[in-house]
Amino acid sequence: MAATARRLESQFRLPMTAIPVLVPALPSVESAPFEAVEAFRKGLDVRIGAQLTSGSELLRALDLRRSEQVLPTALPSLDALLDGGLPRGKVIEIAGRGARLSVVIAALAAATSTGEAAALIDTGDAFDPQLGEAAGIDLRRLLWVRPRKLREAAAAAELVIATGFQLVAVDAGLPPLRGRVPDAAWVRLARAAEAHGTALLVSAPYPLTGTTSEAMLRAEPSRGQWRGPLLTGVDLALRLEKHRRKRPGGCARVQFRVAEAT
Amino acid sequence: MTRIACFSVPMFPLAARLRSEPDLLQEAVVIVDGNGNHAHVVAATRRARKKGIHPGLSLPQARSVLPKLIARGRDAACERTAQEALLEAAEMLSPRLEDAGDGVVFVDVTGTERHFATEEELGRSAIRAIEAVGLPARAGIAASKLAARIAAELPKTPTVVPPGEEMRFLAPLPLARLSPELEAAAMLERFGLKSIGDLARLPENEIASRLGEIGRQLHFAARGIDPRPLIPRPIPPAFREGMELEWPLVSLEPFLFIASAAFDRLRQRMESQGFSCTRIELNLTLEPDGYDARVLDLPAPTRDAKTILTLLRLDLEKRPPGAPVIGFTLVAHPDRPRRAQLSLFGPTALSPDKLATTIARLISMLGEERAGMPVTVDGHLPERHSLAPFSPPPPPDTRREPPRARGLLMPRLFRPPLPVDVTAEGNRIASIRGETIAGNVRVCSGPWHIEEGWWRDAPAEREYWDVELWEGGIYRVYRSEGEQEGKEWFVDARFGV
Repeated sequence: MAATARRLESQFRLPMTAIPVLVPALPSVESAPFEAVEAFRKGLDVRIGAQLTSGSELLRALDLRRSEQVLPTALPSLDALLDGGLPRGKVIEIAGRGARLSVVIAALAAATSTGEAAALIDTGDAFDPQLGEAAGIDLRRLLWVRPRKLREAAAAAELVIATGFQLVAVDAGLPPLRGRVPDAAWVRLARAAEAHGTALLVSAPYPLTGTTSEAMLRAEPSRGQWRGPLLTGVDLALRLEKHRRKRPGGCARVQFRVAEAT
Repeated sequence: MTRIACFSVPMFPLAARLRSEPDLLQEAVVIVDGNGNHAHVVAATRRARKKGIHPGLSLPQARSVLPKLIARGRDAACERTAQEALLEAAEMLSPRLEDAGDGVVFVDVTGTERHFATEEELGRSAIRAIEAVGLPARAGIAASKLAARIAAELPKTPTVVPPGEEMRFLAPLPLARLSPELEAAAMLERFGLKSIGDLARLPENEIASRLGEIGRQLHFAARGIDPRPLIPRPIPPAFREGMELEWPLVSLEPFLFIASAAFDRLRQRMESQGFSCTRIELNLTLEPDGYDARVLDLPAPTRDAKTILTLLRLDLEKRPPGAPVIGFTLVAHPDRPRRAQLSLFGPTALSPDKLATTIARLISMLGEERAGMPVTVDGHLPERHSLAPFSPPPPPDTRREPPRARGLLMPRLFRPPLPVDVTAEGNRIASIRGETIAGNVRVCSGPWHIEEGWWRDAPAEREYWDVELWEGGIYRVYRSEGEQEGKEWFVDARFGV
């Protein structure tokens, strides 16, 4: 095989200019490639061989890259706090009395605008489609599920994650929450999210997901901003209370404006 | 040359019944036709036949031979669905097939020699396919329908009659095989003609002068000539399964148990043809003469049994039939399952089949109007909304970066709005009191007037305020008369949570 490759190389003068790469910055593939591809690669110039990728390697590399990717929320300060956005395959929780729903809608808008299908499990039935569209959500790609109880919300989230939605946002609504989800259900949800590469964003008035979440953000309550007699917006401070891979304590400040003021 | 295969289910009424009640396979069972003392046996299982029970006995005679005999009446629903299953299994060979009824189907297998080494192999494959749908079968292949049917009735199966050999094949067979229901055949036997070959050797005109047109047709048949062409059936618009029950059912669980077995057969039939269903009809026969029909429209084609049975259960719980059920038919309207083109570099596309199942399950779990695609609605009232079936467009071919977020403050709507008591000073709200919201107002802005539907009998006319309480919380408050009895003020949204 190597000899054949060398013969081929001698017969066809390969250009020395940069070879276009379909998928830039592919991560290394752990498992050994097929022997034939490996042998062919050895027979080639090192630089050219490094660019040679078999179909199975490519698919595995894409899967790996996809699992390591994040879904940006398009809120720069929050994305910076979360190292790029909501990590795929992980649970991120926002708890507190701040403007949680606005963060959820921003994340849904960012995901659907890139062509991803997303789901909003809206336990409090609080979503306004008109304002959602104004916020940038591509409503055609949004599945709106309106359970009445938290237990139904968890069951619905599990179904939706298993279908392959890349962003699933569960909004638990306002206190008092209707019903309770056992801890085991959050473990199941976290495992399902990991298995399907789904970013699961949970928004609740107080922490629900326990140890299953990758990160927990505290949404601090704040006063409204008024210009004269008109409400113009609300400032939100999101404090990182827990993160599995970095030190907590960071804070992201986001300013949300009412639709009429933008 | 045309080649026709005939597939025949022996003792069809019994086979159809055993397909619906496989537990009876090892029992001594007879299928009877008629009522009371006029009921007579039309088919019996091997165990019953071993005890001396044969078709033609009356039911009391059969019971006197075997008191523990299980008797079942002929079930039109079972037989119809078994016939459909037989047709669908045969359709895997060729789309040109004729439904001859009562467990017999003719298939035009001309041109299938490329797929099977021999015609015997074709016959064996077809028998295996028919057995897979729960029916025993025999096969006969010949150049005409008549020869194929007679070949399919022989104990040796499959029987292949080589082209041009029909007359030679028929010659040694008894005359009754030609047309058992015709008295003419019995008469010919009284003339001393024992086999089909004996008849074929006689002059045609002599037979015609003695027996008329029937005699001429019999003589044609005896020589292997069958002028009847194969009449292909049209594609069925729906799949059916069902049965008549031995005793009335009054509770849901036993009914769902039987219905799930029927739906499983339906699912297998649809799967064999690559169909899913978009619509399920459930027709119930009620005691004594009632009838109940209901229709389930599915959001997308699916054949997921769990989902469809859950939807059926919910529908039956919501609207019980009101009388004991003595029979049912499930009708599935087929459609092609949706397929998606996977993307290598763009966002992952959802599997349409999985998505359809998920949506159906969500609807069965939460109810209609609880899952779907949000749709904007023209109007002025903030709580307006609508849902449409969720059917996302295909994702783009390449992944793209999201635009910077607009950072809109989303109000959290209260559906329905919360009634509150308000203390107002002129156009300014001073405090609000409700079940879950109470406090003095720190900042108040408004009012804004909204009017919608002035042309209706009850137009919506509201005045809106935004208020922030000293205790925290920004609310949208409105005043409207006539929306709720005795209530005038409502909170319909909260900002910043």
